[in-house]
Amino acid sequence: MRIGLRALLLIAGLAAAAVPALAHHSLFAVFDEGQAVTLKGVVSKVEWVNPHVYLYLDVADAAGKLTTWSVETFPPSTLRRAGLTREKLGLGQHITLVGYKARNGKDLAFLRTITFADGREVMIALGDIKEVK
Amino acid sequence: MRRGLPAGIAALSLMVATGFGLHATPAVAAQNAPAAKPAEPPKPTPRTADGRPDLNGVWGGGGGAGAPNFVQKGDTLVVVFQLDGADPYQDKDLFKALDERGSARKAAAPNKPPYKPELAAKLKEASDLQSKLDPAFYCKPEGVPRMGAPSQIVQTPGQVVFLYEGRNTFRVVPTDGRGHRDDVEPTWNGDAVGRWEGDTLVVDVTNIIDESWLGADGWFHSDALHVVERLRREGDTLTYSATVEDPKMFTGPWEITPRTLRLMANAADALVESPPCIERSGENQVTNDHH
Repeated sequence: MRIGLRALLLIAGLAAAAVPALAHHSLFAVFDEGQAVTLKGVVSKVEWVNPHVYLYLDVADAAGKLTTWSVETFPPSTLRRAGLTREKLGLGQHITLVGYKARNGKDLAFLRTITFADGREVMIALGDIKEVK
Repeated sequence: MRRGLPAGIAALSLMVATGFGLHATPAVAAQNAPAAKPAEPPKPTPRTADGRPDLNGVWGGGGGAGAPNFVQKGDTLVVVFQLDGADPYQDKDLFKALDERGSARKAAAPNKPPYKPELAAKLKEASDLQSKLDPAFYCKPEGVPRMGAPSQIVQTPGQVVFLYEGRNTFRVVPTDGRGHRDDVEPTWNGDAVGRWEGDTLVVDVTNIIDESWLGADGWFHSDALHVVERLRREGDTLTYSATVEDPKMFTGPWEITPRTLRLMANAADALVESPPCIERSGENQVTNDHH
């Protein structure tokens, strides 16, 4: 296909118009990549809001006492582009979740992976899509 | 503001009660026609019944929304926020890399508002503390012109409506020759009146609240902010540009980087309601790092 100068200029213009998603807070300012935490529990709520979607995970300790973890993830638009919905993020289901803990010690984490009982997995990644193996 | 001959005619016609009818005369349309072809448009620009360029439609194409952001690998759905060249499986300093990319982009951005030199320290402080001070960070509106071009335009004779999907925002812009209102408090999007200068819709905006920022890099402004937006359609392409003046803060006018959008004609491009903005991260930040 032949692309004229005008089309190239248009493409350049569109690229310039690109607005970075995830332009909200610094993940570093809140979460520690060096502190991964594995949690097992039931997703009691998925809050589908901007600028970040939150999962709420009810985690029971050995005595059966429930702690609700807040788990932050990408913005709704990014998740929607990937076909994710509340259900596909595990709403109402028992899951195993890996996240990066908040630096302030709260029961708060940034989502890395969700693993469902049947082995399906959702991985939230920062990086080059060409490097996904 | 420089005015060409067609603009002068447009301004004059706005001053007379029958001005709007004058706009639609073939004489004016013919006079405007040569100015509309600095380059051959790929296809003719459709026009409304009153002879104006037809700006109606959903406009977009930015944001890289066309490229897939996920990969299905066996049982694993990998959802990716693109960081060129970064290994998504090394989870040591990707968060920092994201911030550094943002900082580098800001530093490299050639087009900054021309703040008066005596504001340099205040500007640096606002920039450094963006994650604490930026109103849009905390879900307040971005305002004009930070929120950029409209996602959809609804054009009627005498009135143009701008719709913004991002925060479910609307703006009603009269184009019937009326002046600015003097009976309203300052607002985030200000008070807008439109006029046609040839084939360009020019929107004059005043009365913008001084709480908003012009960008995430600490770009505050005063109550003297004056924004002139320009929207021009050529074929199925819309160019959005704006001149920003703030005599209390700037040494001169600032031209934002123009944005080029294309007509989004597929059913799937119809605007959808944005989820509400509810900020929960600000209080959990333990550093002032930001993008």
